[in-house]
Amino acid sequence: MNRPLDLYDIQGNICKGYGRFGFPKARYFFLEFHDSGFAREFIGKLLPLITTAETWPAEGLAGKPRSTTNIAFTYEGLKALGLPQRSLDGFPQEFKMGMKPRAAILGDDGPSAPEHWDPVWQGDRVHAWVSVNGQAKEFVEQRFSEVESLINQSHGGVSIRPGHRGPDGNLLAWQDASAVYENGKPTPKEHFGYTDGIGNPYFEGCGNNPQRLAGRGKLTKEGKWAPLATGEFILGHVDEAKEYPLAPEPHLLARNGTYMVYRKLHENVQSFNDYIDNLARDFDGSRDMLMAKLSGRWPDNGAPLTLAANDAEKAELDARMGQLKAKADDGDACAAGQLQALQARWIDFTYEQDKDGARCPVGAHIRRANTRASLETTKEAFNSPSALDDRRRLLRRGLPYGGEHGAATDESEQGIIFMCLGASLERQFEFVQQQWMNYSNDFKLGNDRDALIGANNGQLTDKHIVQADPQGDKAPFFCTHLPRLVETRGGDYFFIPSITALDMMAQGIVDPT
Amino acid sequence: MSNVAGKAYGMNVITPLRWWTAVWQKIAFSVAEHFPVKLKGLITLSLIHYARWTIISRNSFPRLEKSQPKETLNYSYMLFESNFNGSWDQYIDSFSFAIPTGLDFFWAWNIKYPKSIPLHDFYHYIRFNQVECDHYYNAYPLASANDVKSARSLFHNLTQFNAETHDLSDEDFAVAWKKLLVSNQHALGSMGEGPAMSTSRELVLDHRCTNHKISQQRQQQEA
Repeated sequence: MNRPLDLYDIQGNICKGYGRFGFPKARYFFLEFHDSGFAREFIGKLLPLITTAETWPAEGLAGKPRSTTNIAFTYEGLKALGLPQRSLDGFPQEFKMGMKPRAAILGDDGPSAPEHWDPVWQGDRVHAWVSVNGQAKEFVEQRFSEVESLINQSHGGVSIRPGHRGPDGNLLAWQDASAVYENGKPTPKEHFGYTDGIGNPYFEGCGNNPQRLAGRGKLTKEGKWAPLATGEFILGHVDEAKEYPLAPEPHLLARNGTYMVYRKLHENVQSFNDYIDNLARDFDGSRDMLMAKLSGRWPDNGAPLTLAANDAEKAELDARMGQLKAKADDGDACAAGQLQALQARWIDFTYEQDKDGARCPVGAHIRRANTRASLETTKEAFNSPSALDDRRRLLRRGLPYGGEHGAATDESEQGIIFMCLGASLERQFEFVQQQWMNYSNDFKLGNDRDALIGANNGQLTDKHIVQADPQGDKAPFFCTHLPRLVETRGGDYFFIPSITALDMMAQGIVDPT
Repeated sequence: MSNVAGKAYGMNVITPLRWWTAVWQKIAFSVAEHFPVKLKGLITLSLIHYARWTIISRNSFPRLEKSQPKETLNYSYMLFESNFNGSWDQYIDSFSFAIPTGLDFFWAWNIKYPKSIPLHDFYHYIRFNQVECDHYYNAYPLASANDVKSARSLFHNLTQFNAETHDLSDEDFAVAWKKLLVSNQHALGSMGEGPAMSTSRELVLDHRCTNHKISQQRQQQEA
């Protein structure tokens, strides 16, 4: 069953990521509401600009806008808009609290502690997030000016809240984000050099091609991939526990909406390079292989370690890809099919044949973030192999930022605007961040943290183990003294309403009675 | 008073069942006991240290002493005791996601048991029937059950290695050492404080810290 959803009622970037559709540039800015009446009027005027989840052709420009606009609200923002108390009361606790008071759960300590965040996040005056994505920077700027003029017409009811740290330490009124460019072309890379954003979940009704299901859905008892329940990602629909996700009243306020995590994650590129260079001297393999053993994917093309676990296998894989590509380019349909099948294995895999982590280390980033049925350590122990993963999946929708100004250091501005969506911030994002990124009991690795985004502090015990083949003669490799490679620089929890709910909010007719 | 001690959470749930269905419940337990394969899911959930189900029939409720009057009870009761690592939600979620059929089998005859799916009815049932811990002690607050298991196996293997490798040449020792590392590579996680179980729990820890500081200041002043 793959029942279609009302894609015209759901905001864009939820069902499909803009990134895949040729929108490499984005501007995120945050609004403060000073008057609920004028703020509601502003939302009403913005409504025609809001991009929905309507389907576009995957390639070509036909039917695809040059820029997109989306909006989401914090709990404080919904309060400032004058939503009735009973509706406000229905939101889950973590959303009401916002991200800062959840620091202990999220591992936002030391340099990541909220007191060090960009000034925009100080206090609780961020009321709304507006995102403009564009096919080129000029289109982003055009749309931004349109929204800005609506703000200027709001009689002071709405203002842009400034205070994003930019290059050279300047404070900016917005946060620009952009895919990393190589040879003038946008790439799926982030600033450490990894290929990112592979393998987002597939859910019922998302409108994506069913060919994309394998490796993105859930694993059934029969070992087949099936779409995850819609309610894992969109409110007002049944979830994996066969119930409607917790949501505020009235029903129409929540239905077709979702929650979003926004986090500005600074990347200490110099520390990363120094650490890898230093460690690579003792590592039996290339620098790229060492990087892959931290993340689970080869940095250059994102191939998973399950497919190529060492330099020799990677060279073989690259050669095979090269041959197939050349043949496919010459019009060989058979080679094109084989190439497609091989590329599908970037996503369609499990760790069934790699329980010891000799190929992909048990604590590698992608194995932590999406455990792919590996927590069912005894066959057929659970109701389905991926039972412990299906309710912890994240739709990732971020983009890198900064890094355009010369060589990257720890001080220069670069990182990832991490955005992820789901029907429960606590059960999905917070759980993954706390239990799987910053802790390892589920992987039987004690208190070890994720090497890349974990809250490590350079101590001996801040480590990542690269497991060896139990049948081989090599020893496991220890990446100790892991420094804090990624620091949180700000963020909050947002509610992305449906088009219907936005309209109701604009008119001030949200009534849970 | 807290259900939390170090990395562990202690849970007691007491639920009523009709005295005649208690018999069926006992048969269900005996099936599970004789066919341990039925418990495979439960055992695979490595966050659990321990889980025990006990049927207390309506006539055999303990009395502290003979002078305590006997109660007339309408129902027999099932006492569920568990110790696990992680938060309440994480535990109940894992049960409900991974082994809902097994849970329903164990609680099948309990009054108003809603089944473990949908999740929130099950949440409410457990919360409603949970008896909080008056006192909960943990000898190794920095260790989870997985940590203890790893440490025990590592200690054993290391002791044995130490005894067996005294007379080896440098080359042979290097080979033996690599072997030791590989065979213990899944028991080498770092040890430390557990993750914050909840913001409420963090608040309690914070208050304890403040209380401690205040009492220290007072002692200093008095001195």
